[in-house]
Amino acid sequence: MNIRHIAKEAGVSVATVSRVLNHPEHVAPKTREKIEKIIEEAEYTPNWFARGLNFNKTGTIGLMIPHILNSVHMEIAKGVEDVAHRKEYIALMCNAERDAAKERRYLEQLIKRRVDGIVLICSSLGEKDFKMLEEQNIPVVLIGDHKDGLGLHVVSIDCRQAAEKAVSHLLEAGHERIAMIYGFEPEVENGHKVEGYKTALEKRNLPFREEYLRTVENSIEGGYLGAKKLAELEEPPQAIFASSDYIAFGVMDALKDKNLKIPEDIAVMGFDNVRMSNLVEPKLTTIEVPLHKLGVYGARLLFDLIEGEEDGKEAKTILLQHKIKIRKSCGHKERIGEMF
Amino acid sequence: MMQILKTEFLGLKLKNPIMAAAGPWSGNGESIRELLKAGAGAVVTESVVSDILFDVRPRIAYDGLGAQNIRLYSGIQIEGWERELAIAKSEEGVVIASVTAHTPSETAYLAAKMEKFGADAIEVNLSNPMWESLEVVAADAETVFKVTQEVVSNVKVPVMVKLSQNTTNISAIARAVKQAGGHGVSAINTIRSILKVDIDEAKPVLSTYGGYSGVPIRPLGLASVAAIAQTVDIPICGIGGIADYRNALEYIMLGASAVQVGTAVMLEGPEVLTRMTAGLEKWAQEKNLKSIRQIQGKALKNLKSFDEIKIEPATSTASGAPCTADCGKCIKCCSYHAISKREDQIFVDKEFCTGCGLCTFVCPAKKLKLDW
Repeated sequence: MNIRHIAKEAGVSVATVSRVLNHPEHVAPKTREKIEKIIEEAEYTPNWFARGLNFNKTGTIGLMIPHILNSVHMEIAKGVEDVAHRKEYIALMCNAERDAAKERRYLEQLIKRRVDGIVLICSSLGEKDFKMLEEQNIPVVLIGDHKDGLGLHVVSIDCRQAAEKAVSHLLEAGHERIAMIYGFEPEVENGHKVEGYKTALEKRNLPFREEYLRTVENSIEGGYLGAKKLAELEEPPQAIFASSDYIAFGVMDALKDKNLKIPEDIAVMGFDNVRMSNLVEPKLTTIEVPLHKLGVYGARLLFDLIEGEEDGKEAKTILLQHKIKIRKSCGHKERIGEMF
Repeated sequence: MMQILKTEFLGLKLKNPIMAAAGPWSGNGESIRELLKAGAGAVVTESVVSDILFDVRPRIAYDGLGAQNIRLYSGIQIEGWERELAIAKSEEGVVIASVTAHTPSETAYLAAKMEKFGADAIEVNLSNPMWESLEVVAADAETVFKVTQEVVSNVKVPVMVKLSQNTTNISAIARAVKQAGGHGVSAINTIRSILKVDIDEAKPVLSTYGGYSGVPIRPLGLASVAAIAQTVDIPICGIGGIADYRNALEYIMLGASAVQVGTAVMLEGPEVLTRMTAGLEKWAQEKNLKSIRQIQGKALKNLKSFDEIKIEPATSTASGAPCTADCGKCIKCCSYHAISKREDQIFVDKEFCTGCGLCTFVCPAKKLKLDW
């Protein structure tokens, strides 16, 4: 008696019998009882050795995050963890701290620990590393845009479009001299945001001004320093678009120190919609990124690969929706609340 | 049994055309089983989302006529639906999975999973009048096209798209569904609404805009279904304010292949479906039908454009009809001052009557009728 006989007798697929043995909670009680009865009557015991071969899993996944102190990454990580936990998996979190060498060392550790798969958030790893993982047969999912993402599962938002939307919003509010401050990293995503910024200006036939584009550390301090420079220009901008909310918080701090009023003297637009953006004064208008959902989908795609369900394992990209959150930092008096 | 009601929709064989719509009443496997047992021709699951949201409280309001809800989505993650669908499918019947998402790839992912878990078809819900913003996704033909195309290319089961009345041209949206390879449409979803405002508290009854459903939206649903039926060759599932079998017949006569019942199930429980199917069967027998499909679209030939209407010189006729009621409703409602009452008789002055017909609806005793 093997699993095929049981399935035949019960009139179900082998997969269903397998599920009764491994994840009975996923099987309808009626079906489960029926199969369990047949198993009992046949005195069938699964071949645990064969099972070990099939289920050669450690129950762990790797989760590489760029920086543990950035709440954007923590929200994404929470989405990954939520799914992993439901799958009775443990996610091993590796804090790369924006250090490529540290990230690679962590990767080696994860491989040594035989994780069943890895989720990489805005990773600096490249083609060579992905090849190594492929050879080790360890599935990978990327969250966020990546330079070498070809052939891999990716979950992201359209950063170009989101940035264009943000800048267009500032243009619609009547600002023409719009500056952008973006972080050194994540490099690829911020590159796309800069493209979106330029596209929005181009569509309005406005000149791109080199002095209005500044790159800083992706942090509150970075935003502070960038905005200070901009405010000291001979012709300062009327609005500043920041590539992250953290940079925007620093921008707001710098503008306040310069005794400039937001949005009357200068408008500020963020990106990410972290929790704090609704608590600063004035409340920050920003682009909402579905952070938790990015993590949830990253984990879902990874488990699809781990469980071998992806037909042909063809690279799949899931693009999630961003949304503009209109609050108080860009003017727009006639639009109330966040609803629209 | 009930041969007469058997029908086909999206290539699926249904035991009758009355389905349960997506909602909390179809929010898990057991509830779906109950609805199938009560006689539902098919059940649409409560809409499955990518990431469950906290429940807003309160979220359903009702004023005796219609209901407003804010955020009714499945509280079960996609992974959990494997079990729920297995339970639902242990009862014989058709189960259609409703999925709600924001982008083509996200929607297709959920649809593919629900197919794998055993859904017989997919209903793509693109038209929630809440949660989004003032721009209703289902009002944009291009977005509807992209989402439909992505879902259709990722599943093998039939795909229908739930449309919104919150658009200027619902036919254009239905056409986009067809062009993208969609197999059918369902119409209409709830309508953006504020049910009422408490004027003492100056406070809307629910804390945000919501979707209006129930009997008051039926005329809108009927018009939407008829408009699609007259302009696009695509199977339609009629939704909106169906409270008894006659309402189901109205939708079918205007071109729907099947219908969905939501608010009535919410208010009266699954048994309402048992009553409706029994009523429908009895009616069909009395009309000597072989199949309910014989009457599908039958009322459309009596639904014309303004150009096609042949104007009959009809006027109200009641002159001299005895009337002892003191309501005076016909007199008050006649904008043309054609109706009068002398002693106990109603008179219509044909000189003034323009044949608008309102009095024939207003008279509680139905004493007036339009004729020539």
